Amino acid sequence: MKDFRIEQETKGNIQIVRLTGSLDMYSFPRLETQLNTHLQQGHYAILLDCKDLDYIGSAGLGALIGFAKQAREKGGDVKLLNVPERIYKIIELLGFTKVLQVHTDESAALASFTAH
Amino acid sequence: MSQPAHDAGHAADRKLSIHTPGHGSYLTYIRNFVGDLARQVGFPEEDIAKIEMSVDEACSNVVKHAYAPKKKWLWQHRHPEIRLDLQVQANQIIIEIHDHGQQFDFAAYRPDAIPERLKDMKTNGYGISIMREFMDEVTYSSSDATGNTLRLVKYLKKT
Repeated sequence: MKDFRIEQETKGNIQIVRLTGSLDMYSFPRLETQLNTHLQQGHYAILLDCKDLDYIGSAGLGALIGFAKQAREKGGDVKLLNVPERIYKIIELLGFTKVLQVHTDESAALASFTAH
Repeated sequence: MSQPAHDAGHAADRKLSIHTPGHGSYLTYIRNFVGDLARQVGFPEEDIAKIEMSVDEACSNVVKHAYAPKKKWLWQHRHPEIRLDLQVQANQIIIEIHDHGQQFDFAAYRPDAIPERLKDMKTNGYGISIMREFMDEVTYSSSDATGNTLRLVKYLKKT
């Protein structure tokens, strides 16, 4: 069981947020604070690296939709990268992958922000 | 590691209970406990993920809504607590989640289907729909004497 951790990296005008541990209703407010800060600072291109994520619940998924919606209104997006297979199967079954972009390659994910 | 046949049999017809404070910091512990048990019973990994998520959604609702401050709890004088009674039978796992917070009109709660909510980019209200999608039975009961109980059942499908 890994403690929930958030690490931050900037590449160009894209914010990469690397997540470790479980993203549930208890841990989510920490990510929410981070994402709110990015949007308030005008950073609308956000890539969440989920490689070391153990779990994500509906509170987190729902809120990510809200952040993606806000970012898209400003020409950006919130996208997911390296989602573990176990989590991907669940979010795909529920349909969340239809509204949240998921990437498997960091370079391609970064390029997708400027491809529009 | 695969389970020898006699160990798998040992996991059947088992009853376990856990009590935790009704606080979000225990959700990881609850998910792992339930997931480990489902794994011992022989559920495939995809079903274990579904069971874990359903239990997490149920317990998150208890913490966030049933035990919300200023709500009228069933047993107002007691600290918030979650009790899980787990029963393993030959072909199913039964998970009862008990709390004594505010009652909920579960039968009347029929949110839009998940695809509709996603189409509208709704940010919340997915939890109960997820439980109904992922579990084979989802029922709720409440009484002043016994508190609130959400009962989740998942069948173990033979392959």
